[in-house]
Amino acid sequence: MKKSAGAKGIAVILAAAMAATMLTGCRFGFASDPDDPNEEVKEVPIDTSIDTFVYDSSLQGTKITLLNSKAEIQVALEKMSQAFEEKSGVHVEVMPVTDGDSPYTKVVSMYNSGTPPTMAILDTTDVIALAEEKAADLTGEDWNAEAEEYLTEVNGKIYSFPLCIEGRGIIYNKAVIEEALGREFDPESIRSLDEFEELLETLKEAGIEKPVSLAKEDWSLGAHHLQYIYETYDGTSEGAQGIIDEIKNGKLKLDTYGRLGEFLDMFDVLKAYNVAKGDPLGADYDEMAIDLADGKTAFWFNGNWAWPNLAEAGAEEEDDYGFLPYFLNNDTDDFANQKIQASPSKQVMVDGQMSSEKEQAAAKEFLNWIVFSEIGQQMLVKTCNVIPPFINNPYEPADPLSRDIYEKVQSGGTFNASAIVPNDHWAVLLSAMQKYLAERSDREELTESIIEYWAEQK
Amino acid sequence: MKQTSIGGNKRKAANILATTGLVIIFLAYMFPFVMVVINSLKQKRDIIKSPFSWLYTIKGLSFDNFVKAFTQMDFLNAFKNSLIVTVSATLLVTLLAAMLAYYIVRHNNMISKITFALMVASMIIPFQAIMIPLVSIYGGTLNVLNHRLTLIFMHTGFSMAMSVFMFHGFIKGSVPIALEEAAYIDGCTRRQTFFKIVFPLLKPIISTMVILNALAFWNDFLLPSLVLTDKKLLTLPLSTYSFYGTYSADYGTIMAGLLLCVVPILILYIILQRQIISGVVAGAVK
Amino acid sequence: MRNKNKGKDFCMFALPGMFCFFAVVIIPFVYGVYLTLTDWNGVAKVKNFIGLENFKGVMKDGQFWTSLGLTFKYVILVVLLVNVIAFLLAYLLTRGIKGQNFFRAGFFTPNLIGGIVLGYIWQFVFSRVFVNVGEATGWKLFGVSWLSDPTKAFVALVAVSVWQLSGYMILIYVAGFMGLSEDVMEAASIDGASGWVKMKSIIMPLMMSSVTICLFLTLSRAFMVYDVNLSLTAGAPYGTTEMAAMHVYEKAFTSRQFGVGQAEAFILFIIVACISGIQVYLTKKKEVEA
Repeated sequence: MKKSAGAKGIAVILAAAMAATMLTGCRFGFASDPDDPNEEVKEVPIDTSIDTFVYDSSLQGTKITLLNSKAEIQVALEKMSQAFEEKSGVHVEVMPVTDGDSPYTKVVSMYNSGTPPTMAILDTTDVIALAEEKAADLTGEDWNAEAEEYLTEVNGKIYSFPLCIEGRGIIYNKAVIEEALGREFDPESIRSLDEFEELLETLKEAGIEKPVSLAKEDWSLGAHHLQYIYETYDGTSEGAQGIIDEIKNGKLKLDTYGRLGEFLDMFDVLKAYNVAKGDPLGADYDEMAIDLADGKTAFWFNGNWAWPNLAEAGAEEEDDYGFLPYFLNNDTDDFANQKIQASPSKQVMVDGQMSSEKEQAAAKEFLNWIVFSEIGQQMLVKTCNVIPPFINNPYEPADPLSRDIYEKVQSGGTFNASAIVPNDHWAVLLSAMQKYLAERSDREELTESIIEYWAEQK
Repeated sequence: MKQTSIGGNKRKAANILATTGLVIIFLAYMFPFVMVVINSLKQKRDIIKSPFSWLYTIKGLSFDNFVKAFTQMDFLNAFKNSLIVTVSATLLVTLLAAMLAYYIVRHNNMISKITFALMVASMIIPFQAIMIPLVSIYGGTLNVLNHRLTLIFMHTGFSMAMSVFMFHGFIKGSVPIALEEAAYIDGCTRRQTFFKIVFPLLKPIISTMVILNALAFWNDFLLPSLVLTDKKLLTLPLSTYSFYGTYSADYGTIMAGLLLCVVPILILYIILQRQIISGVVAGAVK
Repeated sequence: MRNKNKGKDFCMFALPGMFCFFAVVIIPFVYGVYLTLTDWNGVAKVKNFIGLENFKGVMKDGQFWTSLGLTFKYVILVVLLVNVIAFLLAYLLTRGIKGQNFFRAGFFTPNLIGGIVLGYIWQFVFSRVFVNVGEATGWKLFGVSWLSDPTKAFVALVAVSVWQLSGYMILIYVAGFMGLSEDVMEAASIDGASGWVKMKSIIMPLMMSSVTICLFLTLSRAFMVYDVNLSLTAGAPYGTTEMAAMHVYEKAFTSRQFGVGQAEAFILFIIVACISGIQVYLTKKKEVEA
């Protein structure tokens, strides 16, 4: 067995080399320059000295689970659950939905395995699909009153807790625009599609050839762009629902629906000034953040969740980034040209089918703790870095994108319309949108695809 | 292995040509792996802007990604979990599949035929199609999820078909029945014959199957994600979850994490490669 | 033969393996087939028997049949390329070339990279490296990202699959060549059999069992392609590279038509089972026992 001894030798050497790499790696890491811009974002201190929240001592020792589908706050949620456990004695195990799984698939498989999560963070459409079958009724919970505008009702009942507000629109980099224009830039001064196009043209003349970044991803094209046609009907969720119903039952012919044409007018403008115009489907998402931060572009159609990407690309919290509306026409009185779409995108559902009374009570306490305890309020905003939908939360988000949305929410500069479309809406219509973006189809064909999609939904 | 024969020069030229071709193809195969190694040392911005360069990185090379991956993955614990699952399942499936395949080759009866046909057919079942039924049965009805043993059992079951298929082909092609008959005449039992005569002859295919199965178990994501939810039990691929965001991924850390995960498999491969050769040498002595 | 030992043999050699296999694969599969006959949506508490309703849904799903047609095209290309490349490389790697162990380790590396990293790296190659080459040389072929053109995206998908699968098949072919005894090879060269003749008349018949296995594995894996499809193109551009397995998954979980998705998976299974059954039958016939 001489051969295997030799092999063992190699294995030992390799293992040792690996260990050595790791060890030196450690030293490297800890000795690194504290001013390194790439260091992890500094931890925001949480003040735990004041806590007036009343904990239910009978729940101590309860163990519950939270399924998290918002991967970027996984670590933050773990910290929150730790803080909550210290105070309440309730252990919240935060489980991630991992890459390659959709949240819905994960929840379905967990229900089938007989161990559903006590709480699950899901998209609104998923909550609606599961609510009446699985979820606990949360109507009348104390926090209802703090987030009235952002509650989702299913047949008059509330089954989910709005975790955060997310807004989207045309992100601008103010410094870049001002440098190109050579004068102050006031985002408020742009009030219509024509004015926006004019600005783009001026930027082009000033040297920024193609000032817009457009993502080719499914969630951007298929959902965030296209759903404006429903959301801008009158800027409310009810209005959006109404128009979807009318399209579905054939009362409304899409080819005569004004918002669709207007949406395409705006989309055409964005398309014309797209930095990746030559190959729009070859555009790289991460590169868009870098382009915007570097000033190669001035606009990026995206939402406040894009901040971590911009920060990685070199943007600082002091920089001036913000949102312009998705201009639909030249009517300066149209709300769509004044307001930003912002709505609760992630919802927490509590299992009402298989969890015990005590587990449900512990879950409800956790949700109330997020809303009413000083610690929970701080952690939601500072640790998770999200925009809270609760009016009693006094903390403000730190990054410029969230701050802009936050301020607009406070001053009435947003509209909250969640269009509840079938779950495969974005996936199916993505193809049609990509084709249109790549100029392989025209308006008629795109409209036809949308009509066809809805015809199949009966 | 002497290659000198008539027309040696022609031979040599052909050999050089083959080697050159091989090197070029080799580089194409290695390229993505090299990319992973290079980029695991870089910051995300550099990865996106200039993924190829060693030198022109703005922010320099560092092992920071490895440190981050190591700590965020809880590497040692996840490593232990992966090791237990992979080693147990690999041993189990290798032994059981070799025996089952041997039975099927040497007993040409109905059970053999049906089992073998089912196994061949089952390799075509898309995993996604039995995912939900699987968790309903093992979780909803039997309630045995969230144990390492369940995962080991399932890994064994899922890889059984392919392993049997491979052993079957090898035993049929390379294990002469005459040897076994000689052993029976010498008074060996079935079991002795199998473990003393047949099993050692299977070395090359065992090495191959150990690598393929261990690789599949070690890297598998979907099955463990269905079976394990307890954090203390998570395997290596599951523990890299926090590097993937909804809208973007932390590429530097992902690549560093990937390398940390695959090094053990590479070591295993290098060890077993020797085994494949020594297996052939042993076979030549017979 | 040794009849009295038959039962004992069966229990010891066959039963444990069969138990694992049946418990984990066959029973869930049968249950899954049953689910195609119900209206269960994955979450509801009740399952109603609806007969073949879901299969009618499959007939109406035009996209499924389109994706299946595309999958056929893909499978043919992948199976041929993978096996030719892997067979030749494995042959070269067992002929005593200098540093062959090192080479073999290198050809093994595609197996080590999966999931999102694989997609990312290759996306990068096709949409950036190629475009850079295109800019430098002016070749139209590399003008825009391969992934934004339907035909080229398909070619890219085939190329990456071949890259990954052949790394796996090389391993099996190498084991096969190693299993051939040196005497066979030496006898072949002493007799003066050279090159092609040697390959065709001596090596090929003895390698048939490896060929059977590899053909079968590539065939089934190519039909089931999902990971590479998802991470490289995700169906883009505009849904032109969506393969059958990906469509099935989308149908069941994105479109929330669990029963129809499950039924499509079943139909896909039947088709692949027939094709690979024929393949195994044909190639097994050519195998010789040692």
